Amino acid sequence: MSRSIGRFVMLLAFTLGIGSNTSFADTPIVELRIRNHLFFPDTLEVPAHTKIKLLVINEDPTPEEFESYELNREKVILGHRKTVIFIGPLPPGEYPFFGEFYPKTAQGKIVVSAQQPSE
Amino acid sequence: MFLNSVVLILQEILEAALLISILLVLSRQLQLSARWFATGMILGGIGAFILSVNLATISEWLDYAGQEILIAGIMIAVLGLLTLIGLYSTSALWASRHSLPYLMSICVALALSREGAEIVIYLGGILNHQESVQPTFTGAGIGAGIGLSAGVLLYFGLLSLPARWIFCTCILLLALIGGTMASQATLLLTQVDWVAYSPVLWDSSIWLPEDSIPGHLLYALVGYEATPSLFQAIAYGIGFLLVSISATLGYLNHFRSRRKNTGEK
Repeated sequence: MSRSIGRFVMLLAFTLGIGSNTSFADTPIVELRIRNHLFFPDTLEVPAHTKIKLLVINEDPTPEEFESYELNREKVILGHRKTVIFIGPLPPGEYPFFGEFYPKTAQGKIVVSAQQPSE
Repeated sequence: MFLNSVVLILQEILEAALLISILLVLSRQLQLSARWFATGMILGGIGAFILSVNLATISEWLDYAGQEILIAGIMIAVLGLLTLIGLYSTSALWASRHSLPYLMSICVALALSREGAEIVIYLGGILNHQESVQPTFTGAGIGAGIGLSAGVLLYFGLLSLPARWIFCTCILLLALIGGTMASQATLLLTQVDWVAYSPVLWDSSIWLPEDSIPGHLLYALVGYEATPSLFQAIAYGIGFLLVSISATLGYLNHFRSRRKNTGEK
């Protein structure tokens, strides 16, 4: 009985571990700041079908929670701290996000454009 | 701030309250002393406080992946405990029944630490805004009240089922929570790129948005997601099967040993 449980745990570990940690080097980094319970910038443009490393910097002394139903993301960022959230690759479209602790003011969106950015 | 705090606290409380209700019904069905509940609550409170104080540091571990790794770890531990609870609650062995209260209290403690830490961080942050303190804490009280009421409702709802269905329903609900734990852990690990991206399986956000009341309720009870990924769905299936199969194995074992005993007589 315990052997079959062990097998399931191994299967779970295998599923979770599958193909993780693709190279970090070519993941574009996008910066997002929280100041006075507002997001700066409140609109982030990112290329389609590309994984993005979102660097969220909380300049407020209070904690905030980055949340987006559309992106399936949720993360607490404490006061005067920063954090990293990976998003995508996403198809073109608009993906709103908000600060769950101060949702009246902390609103923003990620706009995924079909075109590749001109760099 | 008032309405926001109602919703936020309700979300956090609901998940834990439903889990606790199911475990309480199960322990009542098995005629266990409910002392594990108090132990779990106290340990959970302490855990939530310790986690909230240290979350800023933990978040910076492992290249800012610490928060997700820790919470995903807690979720996988809860899944493991639910699997053992499923196995032991159907098993006939006295020794395995004896360990159930310990497993249940650790399970509650872990769930409360995770949910409670966010509440402590949120309310702690509000203390910096003098004018928001009163509406926020009133809202938090109401949110907690609604969450606890939902738990009480589920508790009596389960107990009002026909006696032979109560046990199976509890195991089924625990298996669904097990699936949720595995799926949420996968999501968190994807968020920090420890698990690779996998395509979104379906989008039901038009018919049943996650931020609607039924969406929140279904999220707390069965881990509903409007846009789940392939890996999340696989993890959900594995988590569900782990708990349900272990309960079935325990039951078969119980049945076999009972038949052997009656055969000897």
